[in-house]
Amino acid sequence: MREITEEIRQEITDMIFDYYAEECEVDRNEITMDTNPQEDLGSDSLMFVELIEMTSEKYDLDVKLQSIGKYMLKAPMDTMSDVVDMFCKVYQYGNDIVNQ
Amino acid sequence: MDTYKKAFLFNGIGSKPEKLLINLPAPLMERYLADRDAEFSRLGLHTDLEQNTPFDRRVAEWLISLLCDRVVFDHYTQLGIIPDIGAGYSSGIVSISACFGSIPDAFAHEIILMNRTTMQNLAAAGMELDMGVVIGFGYEDAEKLLFPRFSREELVIGSGNSVFCTMISGRTEAVRRALELMLEEGALKAIPFGTGVAYHHPVMAEYAQEYVDFCGSIDYQDPVHPILSVFDNRILTRGEDIMLENQRNVMTPIRWDLAIRELEQLGVTEFYDVSANGAVKKFSRLRSRRCKIYTLSDV
Repeated sequence: MREITEEIRQEITDMIFDYYAEECEVDRNEITMDTNPQEDLGSDSLMFVELIEMTSEKYDLDVKLQSIGKYMLKAPMDTMSDVVDMFCKVYQYGNDIVNQ
Repeated sequence: MDTYKKAFLFNGIGSKPEKLLINLPAPLMERYLADRDAEFSRLGLHTDLEQNTPFDRRVAEWLISLLCDRVVFDHYTQLGIIPDIGAGYSSGIVSISACFGSIPDAFAHEIILMNRTTMQNLAAAGMELDMGVVIGFGYEDAEKLLFPRFSREELVIGSGNSVFCTMISGRTEAVRRALELMLEEGALKAIPFGTGVAYHHPVMAEYAQEYVDFCGSIDYQDPVHPILSVFDNRILTRGEDIMLENQRNVMTPIRWDLAIRELEQLGVTEFYDVSANGAVKKFSRLRSRRCKIYTLSDV
């Protein structure tokens, strides 16, 4: 398991918010931790895949989409807070996220 | 040796018109609307999609994709972006055949309309078929998971789109069970199309004879630019080959992932997504960092 610092958590949060703001063409300031990425921003699963690829590249992670998919069965991504938590867990646990 | 630098990529059916048209710039929208009105009138379709019969509505939606492709294709070429080669995903084969000059646009639209006969044949035979898209499984992972559990008569992988995306096609019940299984095994998304057809499954051969005959009913010109086959990666330069490609389209599985890889190996570094909403870029993946997929909003 990789340690996650407050600094990394903030970096991940910023990356995710910036990504959704750009892809969904909304003002960054309009996105909050309670925003629903699908319903409020109109995001889709292909955007989510791209975000996973970006994160994997940025932090040199080797994580299978199916591990994330299995995790999401237990913890749906209903809010930006859920998304940030999930990406922090991907950073920490990689493929072992499925057991978290 | 031929050198290929720029490839044009044509999408198939699937994008909802409202999503497809939303980012079309005003001058292109104007041209699209004029083309749409003329063609829908010629083919006896309502531009208000709800006014069409269910089968007509479906082919009308697909026709909108083709009409958009032509507008975007002409926009690119007018900007001086000329393809060295191209590839079409599913009904994108019909679209590229017209844009690359093998068949007239009107004939391409009539090919799309012939899907109506195929759907009528399937309905008359009581065939329950469907397709579905899965995000989170590439071709090999999907093969490993599905084919100990399903026969290929029930289900095929209609297209390996990329390392993370596949399309499945076959009997409705098998498609439903396969999508459920893939979700349980970690797919991020697995949704049925609900089209009532199973494009790219061999079962379609029996019900698409009129479609196939129609595709072969005119002489095809040699394409102005080569087309890469998404079935077997051959480079097609002759009209006869383009006709065969259209005929086999409805009943033959696609390997879009391998076609994209082949284009990269041929030296293509600039890919142009001809779909109005950048859909091809979303489900395709390139291997090399030297390569890039450009969309309408990029150019």
